[in-house]
Amino acid sequence: MPSIQLHARSAAPAVTATETSSFPLTNPLPQLLQTPSGLALLELQGTINLPEYEPETSPDGSPNPNALSFETPIGKIMFPDYSLLNPDDTKWMKRVYLYVGRYQRMTGEVKKLPRPIAVLQRRAGSKTEELEVVEVVRHKIFFKNRPEPVNDI
Amino acid sequence: MATQGTPSILFTNTQPQQSFRLLEIPPELEDLFTSKDAPALELKSPSTALAHAVADAGGQEYVNLCTPTQTYRIRQVMSSNSLHIVRPSEGQISKADIKIVEDEVGESGTLNLPDEAVTAIAKCGSTLELHVPPGGFSAVPFLEKSLGLYDRRPGDDDGDIAMDESGELKLGGIQKLRDQVCMDIPVSAAQCETGWVEICAFVDERMKVCWRPSSRMRVNVWKRMMEGALLQGIDLEKQFLVGDLWKAVLDDDESEPFPRGLLEGVVRRLCVPDERPALADEIKWASFDKAEVTKWLGETYLASIAPTASSAVGRSEFLRAWKDCLPESWRSEATLSKLPEGCYKSPDPTSIFYVEPSQRQHVSKASTAASSTAAKAKTSRNWHELLKNSSRR
Repeated sequence: MPSIQLHARSAAPAVTATETSSFPLTNPLPQLLQTPSGLALLELQGTINLPEYEPETSPDGSPNPNALSFETPIGKIMFPDYSLLNPDDTKWMKRVYLYVGRYQRMTGEVKKLPRPIAVLQRRAGSKTEELEVVEVVRHKIFFKNRPEPVNDI
Repeated sequence: MATQGTPSILFTNTQPQQSFRLLEIPPELEDLFTSKDAPALELKSPSTALAHAVADAGGQEYVNLCTPTQTYRIRQVMSSNSLHIVRPSEGQISKADIKIVEDEVGESGTLNLPDEAVTAIAKCGSTLELHVPPGGFSAVPFLEKSLGLYDRRPGDDDGDIAMDESGELKLGGIQKLRDQVCMDIPVSAAQCETGWVEICAFVDERMKVCWRPSSRMRVNVWKRMMEGALLQGIDLEKQFLVGDLWKAVLDDDESEPFPRGLLEGVVRRLCVPDERPALADEIKWASFDKAEVTKWLGETYLASIAPTASSAVGRSEFLRAWKDCLPESWRSEATLSKLPEGCYKSPDPTSIFYVEPSQRQHVSKASTAASSTAAKAKTSRNWHELLKNSSRR
């Protein structure tokens, strides 16, 4: 109990059961936000209200690890000033839109994190509790403003 | 609209969510988190008994992140913002729900879906931050609680009869015993080793027990070394073979006055730091560091004869005895100014007594109070301060 190992990212390929099936996926985010594992950070003030989710449970009451995962659409992300042709220009980072549903829009930006953030996860398949660094993320998409009403896009 | 023609990325939320922790990495640790052959890091918390014995300033449970050489306290910082971890979508999007985002039928008569999507797979309400408290971390208070005190008087029998049966441990076995002790100590391996050397802790090879010698015991070992060296003509002011010194301290009938590990512990503590071998390696040659020996001996000797205010001894008496313990040419070194700062107090101009390190820190803390107020602001519940910090990010 007193000591838990924490393994650096490259010690093992950072994939979980669900991720192995379909990777590599094409990552639609701008190059700067792409990481080897595909993970990125998105921060917003407040919370996104989602439909209630009842986790499927096994007969013994623990969450069923084989439960099918599904995705609920929330909205759209846009990087209006980003251009694939000019990836070194960083002005695009100043403006990101997140449409929530069809009639609300949040304006945010891509920020370099003051300190990189390690994404940690329990290592799958080990008997003792072990953690591993799944990814080290250096940027985040940050929406600090309230949503504003917009017309349907 | 400005956004017309800009490719849009569908944003979805995946259920069930995964659980992750986010840890802020200080610049000096970046390599450890990213490089290919970085050593494993450890999250260590003290065993329940130790946590109880060595009270933390905050009095709370804690976990430390240990690199091979450094220790950091992990602090959980809650955030009112939601921090989502997103990744490229696998496309299992419920088509029925897509109306939330999109008109069912676009201009071209088909579903106007963006080609690509990212999905939130986890939400974190807090991040973990690493910090080092002003005094840093030391294994010494933990070692003092977890190791038995070794304080034998000459003539005390510590089971010599058993010695032939159990046989001596190899270096590996000694290491194993030491590792067991250090496992429960929530600081890095290197800091455990430093603390171990600092208090002259040792593994009794026969009894298979780890000990920390009392100050009286440490002074006795030193005196015995001095006597033995004098008799055998070993010059302690120069480099010497530790094996020779060990032979020199044995009694006339070759019996051991104390375990060899204890002698090595004291030698290791006092030898020139640059030449000090790692604990895992045998110490073969050693040469003493004059300033360190003088300081250590003065402090240890004072601790052994005058551990409290009520047992204060005369200053000149103490100085004379201290000098007598040193090699002839080092005698002039023994002056009160050579003692570590704050390690003694004088109730009156002629007497002196020892002050425990834990008591000393109170004195030094008072002087650094000003600098710690800045740190306090960060942990305060004053929301002006908190907001000021967060807006700076």
